[in-house]
Amino acid sequence: MLKCREIVEHADALLAAELTPIQRLSVRTHLLICRHCRRYVRQLRQLIRSVAAMHGPASDAQVQQVVTAVKNSKAAPAP
Amino acid sequence: MAGNDSLDLAALQRGDEVAFAGAVRLHHRALLAVASAIVGADDAEEAVQNSWIKAHAALGQFEGRSTLRTWLTRIVINECRMLLRGRRPTISLDEATVGHPLADRFTANGHWNKPPIPWHEDTPDGLLMEQELEQCLQRLLATMPEQQRAVLELRDSGGLEFAEICNELTVSASNARVLLHRARSQLFKLVDQYQETGEC
Repeated sequence: MLKCREIVEHADALLAAELTPIQRLSVRTHLLICRHCRRYVRQLRQLIRSVAAMHGPASDAQVQQVVTAVKNSKAAPAP
Repeated sequence: MAGNDSLDLAALQRGDEVAFAGAVRLHHRALLAVASAIVGADDAEEAVQNSWIKAHAALGQFEGRSTLRTWLTRIVINECRMLLRGRRPTISLDEATVGHPLADRFTANGHWNKPPIPWHEDTPDGLLMEQELEQCLQRLLATMPEQQRAVLELRDSGGLEFAEICNELTVSASNARVLLHRARSQLFKLVDQYQETGEC
Protein backbone atom coordinates (compact mmCIF):
# COMPACT_ATOMS: atom_id res chain seq x y z
CA MET A 1 0.00 0.00 0.00
CA LEU A 2 1.33 3.41 -0.94
CA LYS A 3 1.83 6.01 1.76
CA CYS A 4 0.28 9.46 1.64
CA ARG A 5 3.67 11.04 0.90
CA GLU A 6 4.00 8.79 -2.14
CA ILE A 7 0.55 9.83 -3.36
CA VAL A 8 1.72 13.46 -3.29
CA GLU A 9 4.81 12.44 -5.27
CA HIS A 10 2.66 10.62 -7.85
CA ALA A 11 -0.14 13.18 -8.07
CA ASP A 12 1.31 15.22 -10.95
CA ALA A 13 1.79 12.08 -13.04
CA LEU A 14 -1.71 10.88 -12.10
CA LEU A 15 -3.28 14.13 -13.29
CA ALA A 16 -1.18 14.09 -16.47
CA ALA A 17 -2.23 10.47 -17.15
CA GLU A 18 1.43 9.45 -17.13
CA LEU A 19 1.25 6.57 -14.61
CA THR A 20 1.57 2.96 -15.69
CA PRO A 21 -1.59 0.87 -15.22
CA ILE A 22 -0.11 -0.77 -12.11
CA GLN A 23 0.92 2.58 -10.59
CA ARG A 24 -2.51 4.01 -11.38
CA LEU A 25 -4.21 1.07 -9.67
CA SER A 26 -2.02 1.52 -6.58
CA VAL A 27 -2.79 5.23 -6.39
CA ARG A 28 -6.51 4.72 -6.99
CA THR A 29 -6.66 2.04 -4.28
CA HIS A 30 -5.08 4.43 -1.78
CA LEU A 31 -7.46 7.23 -2.82
CA LEU A 32 -10.44 4.97 -2.15
CA ILE A 33 -9.56 4.77 1.52
CA CYS A 34 -7.85 8.14 2.18
CA ARG A 35 -9.98 11.28 2.13
CA HIS A 36 -6.99 13.52 2.83
CA CYS A 37 -5.25 12.35 -0.33
CA ARG A 38 -8.49 12.59 -2.33
CA ARG A 39 -8.73 16.22 -1.21
CA TYR A 40 -5.06 16.82 -2.05
CA VAL A 41 -5.46 15.49 -5.60
CA ARG A 42 -8.74 17.38 -6.16
CA GLN A 43 -7.29 20.67 -4.93
CA LEU A 44 -4.02 20.17 -6.82
CA ARG A 45 -6.06 19.76 -10.04
CA GLN A 46 -7.91 22.98 -9.21
CA LEU A 47 -4.62 24.77 -8.49
CA ILE A 48 -3.02 23.67 -11.77
CA ARG A 49 -6.03 24.93 -13.73
CA SER A 50 -5.78 28.29 -12.01
CA VAL A 51 -2.10 28.94 -12.77
CA ALA A 52 -2.75 30.26 -16.30
CA ALA A 53 -4.76 33.14 -14.85
CA MET A 54 -2.58 33.82 -11.81
CA HIS A 55 -0.81 36.85 -13.27
CA GLY A 56 -4.08 38.66 -13.94
CA PRO A 57 -4.90 41.06 -16.77
CA ALA A 58 -2.50 43.73 -18.00
CA SER A 59 -3.10 47.34 -16.97
CA ASP A 60 -4.43 49.95 -19.40
CA ALA A 61 -0.94 51.46 -19.55
CA GLN A 62 0.66 48.11 -20.44
CA VAL A 63 -1.93 47.45 -23.15
CA GLN A 64 -1.45 50.94 -24.60
CA GLN A 65 2.34 50.55 -24.60
CA VAL A 66 2.12 47.33 -26.63
CA VAL A 67 -0.51 48.68 -29.03
CA THR A 68 1.62 51.80 -29.64
CA ALA A 69 4.77 49.72 -30.20
CA VAL A 70 2.95 47.56 -32.75
CA LYS A 71 1.63 50.65 -34.59
CA ASN A 72 5.07 52.27 -34.59
CA SER A 73 6.67 49.09 -35.95
CA LYS A 74 4.23 49.08 -38.87
CA ALA A 75 4.86 52.76 -39.56
CA ALA A 76 8.64 52.38 -39.53
CA PRO A 77 10.30 51.81 -42.92
CA ALA A 78 11.55 48.29 -43.56
CA PRO A 79 15.30 47.96 -42.90
CA MET B 1 -5.40 27.28 -19.16
CA ALA B 2 -6.18 30.63 -20.71
CA GLY B 3 -7.57 29.30 -23.95
CA ASN B 4 -8.87 30.62 -27.20
CA ASP B 5 -12.54 30.66 -26.26
CA SER B 6 -12.54 33.96 -24.41
CA LEU B 7 -11.30 35.90 -27.43
CA ASP B 8 -12.78 36.47 -30.87
CA LEU B 9 -10.02 34.85 -32.89
CA ALA B 10 -11.60 35.74 -36.22
CA ALA B 11 -11.66 39.42 -35.26
CA LEU B 12 -8.10 39.15 -34.00
CA GLN B 13 -6.93 37.70 -37.30
CA ARG B 14 -8.84 40.35 -39.28
CA GLY B 15 -6.70 42.96 -37.55
CA ASP B 16 -9.42 44.24 -35.23
CA GLU B 17 -7.67 46.63 -32.82
CA VAL B 18 -10.09 46.04 -29.98
CA ALA B 19 -9.62 42.28 -30.23
CA PHE B 20 -5.83 42.72 -30.27
CA ALA B 21 -5.92 44.96 -27.21
CA GLY B 22 -8.07 42.31 -25.52
CA ALA B 23 -5.47 39.66 -26.28
CA VAL B 24 -2.73 41.87 -24.88
CA ARG B 25 -4.77 42.49 -21.75
CA LEU B 26 -5.37 38.77 -21.25
CA HIS B 27 -1.90 37.41 -21.92
CA HIS B 28 0.70 40.18 -21.47
CA ARG B 29 1.48 39.71 -17.79
CA ALA B 30 1.77 35.94 -18.15
CA LEU B 31 4.14 36.39 -21.09
CA LEU B 32 6.21 38.84 -19.05
CA ALA B 33 6.47 36.18 -16.35
CA VAL B 34 7.67 33.61 -18.89
CA ALA B 35 10.28 35.99 -20.31
CA SER B 36 11.36 37.09 -16.85
CA ALA B 37 11.95 33.47 -15.86
CA ILE B 38 14.22 32.96 -18.87
CA VAL B 39 16.08 36.23 -19.48
CA GLY B 40 15.52 38.04 -16.19
CA ALA B 41 13.22 40.92 -15.32
CA ASP B 42 15.44 43.58 -16.92
CA ASP B 43 15.15 42.15 -20.43
CA ALA B 44 11.64 40.70 -20.16
CA GLU B 45 9.83 43.88 -21.23
CA GLU B 46 11.88 44.15 -24.42
CA ALA B 47 11.44 40.46 -25.24
CA VAL B 48 7.68 40.56 -24.79
CA GLN B 49 7.19 43.83 -26.66
CA ASN B 50 9.15 42.46 -29.63
CA SER B 51 7.11 39.28 -29.37
CA TRP B 52 3.82 41.18 -29.63
CA ILE B 53 5.08 42.97 -32.74
CA LYS B 54 5.97 39.63 -34.34
CA ALA B 55 2.78 37.97 -33.14
CA HIS B 56 0.65 40.79 -34.58
CA ALA B 57 2.34 40.37 -37.96
CA ALA B 58 1.91 36.58 -37.86
CA LEU B 59 -1.62 36.28 -36.49
CA GLY B 60 -2.88 35.18 -39.89
CA GLN B 61 -0.70 32.08 -39.57
CA PHE B 62 -2.16 31.06 -36.21
CA GLU B 63 -4.13 27.91 -36.97
CA GLY B 64 -5.57 27.27 -33.54
CA ARG B 65 -3.80 23.93 -33.09
CA SER B 66 -2.65 25.13 -29.68
CA THR B 67 -4.16 27.77 -27.44
CA LEU B 68 -3.30 31.35 -28.27
CA ARG B 69 -1.40 31.51 -24.95
CA THR B 70 0.81 28.60 -25.99
CA TRP B 71 1.41 30.08 -29.46
CA LEU B 72 2.38 33.41 -27.92
CA THR B 73 4.60 31.68 -25.36
CA ARG B 74 6.56 30.02 -28.16
CA ILE B 75 7.11 33.40 -29.81
CA VAL B 76 8.32 34.83 -26.50
CA ILE B 77 10.72 31.92 -26.06
CA ASN B 78 12.17 32.53 -29.53
CA GLU B 79 12.60 36.19 -28.71
CA CYS B 80 14.29 35.34 -25.40
CA ARG B 81 16.59 32.98 -27.25
CA MET B 82 17.65 35.81 -29.55
CA LEU B 83 18.30 38.09 -26.58
CA LEU B 84 20.34 35.37 -24.90
CA ARG B 85 22.44 34.72 -27.99
CA GLY B 86 26.03 34.94 -26.91
CA ARG B 87 25.06 35.12 -23.27
CA ARG B 88 24.79 32.40 -20.67
CA PRO B 89 21.18 31.40 -20.07
CA THR B 90 19.99 32.34 -16.59
CA ILE B 91 18.64 28.84 -16.03
CA SER B 92 20.75 26.50 -13.97
CA LEU B 93 20.00 23.40 -11.97
CA ASP B 94 22.00 24.24 -8.88
CA GLU B 95 18.94 24.73 -6.72
CA ALA B 96 17.06 21.58 -7.74
CA THR B 97 17.83 19.63 -4.63
CA VAL B 98 16.26 21.79 -1.91
CA GLY B 99 13.90 20.05 0.51
CA HIS B 100 10.33 19.22 -0.46
CA PRO B 101 7.97 22.12 0.33
CA LEU B 102 5.41 19.79 1.94
CA ALA B 103 7.91 17.66 3.88
CA ASP B 104 6.75 18.99 7.26
CA ARG B 105 3.16 17.95 6.50
CA PHE B 106 3.96 14.24 6.91
CA THR B 107 4.79 11.96 9.83
CA ALA B 108 7.96 9.90 9.79
CA ASN B 109 6.00 6.91 8.44
CA GLY B 110 4.72 8.91 5.45
CA HIS B 111 1.12 9.66 6.47
CA TRP B 112 -0.42 13.11 6.71
CA ASN B 113 0.56 14.94 9.86
CA LYS B 114 -1.20 18.11 8.73
CA PRO B 115 -3.50 17.24 5.83
CA PRO B 116 -4.74 19.91 3.43
CA ILE B 117 -7.82 21.79 4.58
CA PRO B 118 -10.89 22.11 2.32
CA TRP B 119 -10.46 25.23 0.17
CA HIS B 120 -13.27 27.76 -0.03
CA GLU B 121 -12.96 28.44 -3.73
CA ASP B 122 -14.46 25.77 -5.94
CA THR B 123 -13.54 27.27 -9.29
CA PRO B 124 -10.04 27.53 -10.75
CA ASP B 125 -10.64 31.13 -11.86
CA GLY B 126 -11.27 32.39 -8.34
CA LEU B 127 -8.55 30.50 -6.54
CA LEU B 128 -5.50 32.66 -7.16
CA MET B 129 -7.30 35.93 -7.83
CA GLU B 130 -7.94 37.18 -4.30
CA GLN B 131 -6.07 40.43 -3.83
CA GLU B 132 -4.23 39.52 -0.65
CA LEU B 133 -3.27 36.14 -2.02
CA GLU B 134 -2.08 37.68 -5.27
CA GLN B 135 0.55 39.70 -3.40
CA CYS B 136 1.74 36.59 -1.54
CA LEU B 137 1.79 34.73 -4.83
CA GLN B 138 3.95 37.34 -6.50
CA ARG B 139 6.36 37.26 -3.53
CA LEU B 140 6.55 33.48 -3.75
CA LEU B 141 7.24 33.56 -7.49
CA ALA B 142 9.92 36.21 -6.98
CA THR B 143 11.76 34.04 -4.46
CA MET B 144 11.15 30.67 -6.15
CA PRO B 145 14.30 29.07 -7.59
CA GLU B 146 14.43 30.36 -11.14
CA GLN B 147 14.37 26.98 -12.85
CA GLN B 148 11.29 25.93 -10.88
CA ARG B 149 9.54 29.13 -11.85
CA ALA B 150 10.55 28.72 -15.49
CA VAL B 151 9.10 25.21 -15.72
CA LEU B 152 5.91 26.29 -13.91
CA GLU B 153 5.40 29.24 -16.25
CA LEU B 154 6.14 27.27 -19.39
CA ARG B 155 4.05 24.24 -18.46
CA ASP B 156 1.08 25.46 -16.41
CA SER B 157 0.78 29.02 -17.68
CA GLY B 158 2.18 28.67 -21.21
CA GLY B 159 0.81 25.20 -21.88
CA LEU B 160 4.00 23.82 -23.44
CA GLU B 161 4.67 20.09 -23.62
CA PHE B 162 7.48 18.62 -21.50
CA ALA B 163 9.53 17.87 -24.60
CA GLU B 164 9.55 21.56 -25.59
CA ILE B 165 10.35 22.65 -22.04
CA CYS B 166 13.29 20.23 -21.82
CA ASN B 167 14.58 21.49 -25.14
CA GLU B 168 14.26 25.17 -24.26
CA LEU B 169 15.72 24.93 -20.76
CA THR B 170 18.21 22.16 -21.52
CA VAL B 171 17.00 19.98 -18.67
CA SER B 172 16.17 16.29 -18.66
CA ALA B 173 12.54 15.17 -18.58
CA SER B 174 12.95 13.75 -15.09
CA ASN B 175 14.49 17.00 -13.83
CA ALA B 176 11.71 19.04 -15.42
CA ARG B 177 9.10 16.91 -13.65
CA VAL B 178 10.86 17.29 -10.30
CA LEU B 179 11.10 21.06 -10.79
CA LEU B 180 7.42 21.31 -11.71
CA HIS B 181 6.41 19.19 -8.73
CA ARG B 182 8.43 21.42 -6.37
CA ALA B 183 6.94 24.58 -7.85
CA ARG B 184 3.38 23.28 -7.65
CA SER B 185 3.97 22.06 -4.09
CA GLN B 186 5.11 25.53 -3.03
CA LEU B 187 2.00 27.04 -4.59
CA PHE B 188 -0.18 24.39 -2.91
CA LYS B 189 1.34 25.12 0.48
CA LEU B 190 0.83 28.85 0.03
CA VAL B 191 -2.83 28.51 -0.98
CA ASP B 192 -3.54 25.96 1.75
CA GLN B 193 -2.08 28.25 4.42
CA TYR B 194 -3.98 31.23 3.02
CA GLN B 195 -7.25 29.28 2.96
CA GLU B 196 -6.72 28.25 6.58
CA THR B 197 -5.52 31.51 8.12
CA GLY B 198 -6.33 34.28 5.64
CA GLU B 199 -2.62 35.13 5.73
CA CYS B 200 0.48 33.87 4.06
